Amino acid sequence: MIGALLVLWLAWQTVCPEALQHMQAATEAEKQKQFDRAVSEFQKVTELEPKLPDGFVRLGQAYMEKHDYGTAIVPLKHALELAPDLAGAHQLLGYALLAQGYAAEAIPHLERVNEQTALGIAQIETGQLPQAVTNLQAALAKHPNDPDLLYYLGRASGLLSKQSIDTLLATHPNSARAHQALAENYFVLRQMPQAEKEFQEALRLRPDIPKLHLELGEVYAGSSQWPKAEEEFRAETKVQPGNAEAHYRLGAALLQQGKAREARAALQIADHLQPDMPETLYSLGKAAALEGDAAAGERAWTRLLTLEKNTSLAAQTHFALAGLYRKQGKVAAADREMQEFQKLQSPVTQPEAVQK
Amino acid sequence: MRIALLLLVLASALLMCLGAAPIGLFDVKQPRGIDFILRNSPTPQKYLIETMPGGVALLDYNNDGLLDVFLVNGGRVTNPMQPPENFDRKDKRYWNRLYRQNKEGSFSDVTEQAGLANAGDGNYGMGVAVGDYDNDGFPDLYVTSYGKNILYHNNGDGTFTDVTAKAGVAGGGWSVSAGFFDYDNDGKLDLFVTRYMEWDTKHSKTCGGEWHTYCPPEEFPATTNILYHNNGDGTFSDVSQKSGIAAKKGRALGVAFADYDDDGFTDVFVANDGMQQYLFHNNGNGTFTERALEAGAGLSEDGRRLSGMGVVFQDYDNDGRPDVIVTELPREIYGVYHNEGNGTFSYGSLVTGLGVLSSGSSGWGVGLEDFDNDGWKDLFVAQGHVLDNVEQIDPSLHYLELPMLAMNHNGRFERADSGVTAPIAGRGAAFGDLNNDGWEDVVMTALGSTPIVLINRGGQQHWLVISLRGTRSNRDGLGARVRVNGQTRFATTAGSYLSASDKRLHFGLGQATTAKIEIAWPSGIHQTLNDIHADQFLEIREPEKP
Repeated sequence: MIGALLVLWLAWQTVCPEALQHMQAATEAEKQKQFDRAVSEFQKVTELEPKLPDGFVRLGQAYMEKHDYGTAIVPLKHALELAPDLAGAHQLLGYALLAQGYAAEAIPHLERVNEQTALGIAQIETGQLPQAVTNLQAALAKHPNDPDLLYYLGRASGLLSKQSIDTLLATHPNSARAHQALAENYFVLRQMPQAEKEFQEALRLRPDIPKLHLELGEVYAGSSQWPKAEEEFRAETKVQPGNAEAHYRLGAALLQQGKAREARAALQIADHLQPDMPETLYSLGKAAALEGDAAAGERAWTRLLTLEKNTSLAAQTHFALAGLYRKQGKVAAADREMQEFQKLQSPVTQPEAVQK
Repeated sequence: MRIALLLLVLASALLMCLGAAPIGLFDVKQPRGIDFILRNSPTPQKYLIETMPGGVALLDYNNDGLLDVFLVNGGRVTNPMQPPENFDRKDKRYWNRLYRQNKEGSFSDVTEQAGLANAGDGNYGMGVAVGDYDNDGFPDLYVTSYGKNILYHNNGDGTFTDVTAKAGVAGGGWSVSAGFFDYDNDGKLDLFVTRYMEWDTKHSKTCGGEWHTYCPPEEFPATTNILYHNNGDGTFSDVSQKSGIAAKKGRALGVAFADYDDDGFTDVFVANDGMQQYLFHNNGNGTFTERALEAGAGLSEDGRRLSGMGVVFQDYDNDGRPDVIVTELPREIYGVYHNEGNGTFSYGSLVTGLGVLSSGSSGWGVGLEDFDNDGWKDLFVAQGHVLDNVEQIDPSLHYLELPMLAMNHNGRFERADSGVTAPIAGRGAAFGDLNNDGWEDVVMTALGSTPIVLINRGGQQHWLVISLRGTRSNRDGLGARVRVNGQTRFATTAGSYLSASDKRLHFGLGQATTAKIEIAWPSGIHQTLNDIHADQFLEIREPEKP
């Protein structure tokens, strides 16, 4: 680095006054965003001082400001021939090459200056996904919530995940995990028959893999096949008795079938394993109310409303409480809950009164 | 021979031991003479009307004791439609059709001779209501359309006359289900007409991005329903504003009537699409108040809006109070609103088992009828998705579906075989005893298809079919509450979707060979008949004096 600066300093000591004048004119044009004029002036500098690396760097930069990345590459490369350690030239050349799609060629230049964002992007393009994730994470730590960085990190992670799954599928195509991965992919694509088939195959090979039954149950639940969903969720509770979600899903599937007593039992286990889950409390209230235990229903829903205030689930809970009170003949309480429900409602569910 | 008989007995015993499903209740028929095709004319333009028809009515228009069938057709839709809209209803293919039932069970097309051939080129047909609005003993027809509606007066000689202009009931816009009922108990049938939305072909849209689908109802402005008061002189007055019915805009598709709070006045339940349902409480003074939300019958159990399409307003659990079942789109599950008896309803879709039966289906025409005569009303739903390309959007859903038959076991529904094996785009459904054997039959419409006629195979249980003959009340006793051996029916031809059912009241009596009948007439007269023999068609005349 010091060597590069020394080269630059020595070079500037011998620059002719005419070149200096063009350099000043180019700099002034850049400030005024007159990039065509800046390019023209920098070109004169490079013609008058062909051994001056900075002239070529500034010319390249001016082209880049014009978004003419392809033309920028030539002077930047020439600058590096004159001064191979010139950091600014590496950085700009790395950007220009990346912008032109020469990601592999850009990487060494970006590595020289540790330009993590652009390097990460270039590494995505060249398939160096673990390195890309590392660089983008480091960049994101310096610039949290940067939308571009968040996007590229997400993309790199997704591709890395896909790469990993592709390797799994290529090397162990008949393994339970391969079938699980395929099934999850089909599930995301909403290709449920294929997802079901792959989950079933995975289960046939390794029935003890945690979450497999849960995922297959979700396939059935997604297409409202509640008895089958119940069967899978129940199986998951056997594989993972401590998994609150499995018990919750089982309770919800039972509830859909009107099996209130069984649903309530499953939901109570879910509530015990993971207390204060709003969804569990909502379903628990429904199961209790369906079973005729209004007091327990009211308790679950009231508890839920201490956790959720202004959400759609809170609105649903107020609505459910209104129904519960209405059935008990508690008109005032039902009206109060309906008012709370309506406060939280979006306009689409409101009745449409005629505009006078 | 003896061995063959023995094998047959053994096979039957084996089937019983294995708990094999009983043979289906219905024979699926294509009755001779019915050649109607419901021509909805789907276009790439995806005009919303194309997926919505059409209605069916079961009525005895010539009073020969046999139910006849009236079918509403859509019309020809061009791609795109050019103004003025012309649905080519003069073309025979797009006529509505009246089929007279012959004594041996076949049907004759009497459309032209009955004067029902041309429903107007500007009218795309939707539904039908049946009622004897002039109490002359012959059922009249009201046909709804996108365009103008038509009231056909039954002349009593096998012909009908279009009296729409004189009666003042043309409506306008997009009318859907309609029904006759006597809201003010003056003995004359009034008319309720649902309207779907403010829509016309000029302002049509397509939705669904690359899939190009029919739009959801929210894409178009809501509109009002119409209530016509029968003046008793062959004319009607539009009392929509005065009665409060027009105070609520909605996106109505279905309508059904019953007196839910037992105050002696018939109330109205309107199935709205993509929004809250409406329960218009009859205040008894010519006005209505919409009470669905406060009564607990406006939204789903979770407070979500519903895609209400068809509706039935009858008592499914034999507690004497009319309940509501609303058919909807998949993932919403059909709404069961159980009447609690204090003017409120509780949500019963899960506890009745209907939730699990309906969560993947789209329901339209619907009826609660005791198909196996065991004393519990069973559920029949015509099914098929709104979108003819729904599989491309969600492969787990289907445009063509089988109808739902769910048998009622003490208030809980369990799926049964309807006998229909080919999925269809089911829409309208009407219920009645076509062959007068005491067992309820079904006629269902399907887009692009001939109607599906389900003839009940019958069985050993007893039954009773009652015709009401009003004297102080309207002639057909519509609105009467009839209780037979603990079961209750509310006399109506309305309900379902776009359709009108047999006005006769059918009761399954199970093993009972006699019945006690209690009738609360709309006039307020109560009538009781004891020790009535089962297995008969009985006409009951309303006493002249209380």
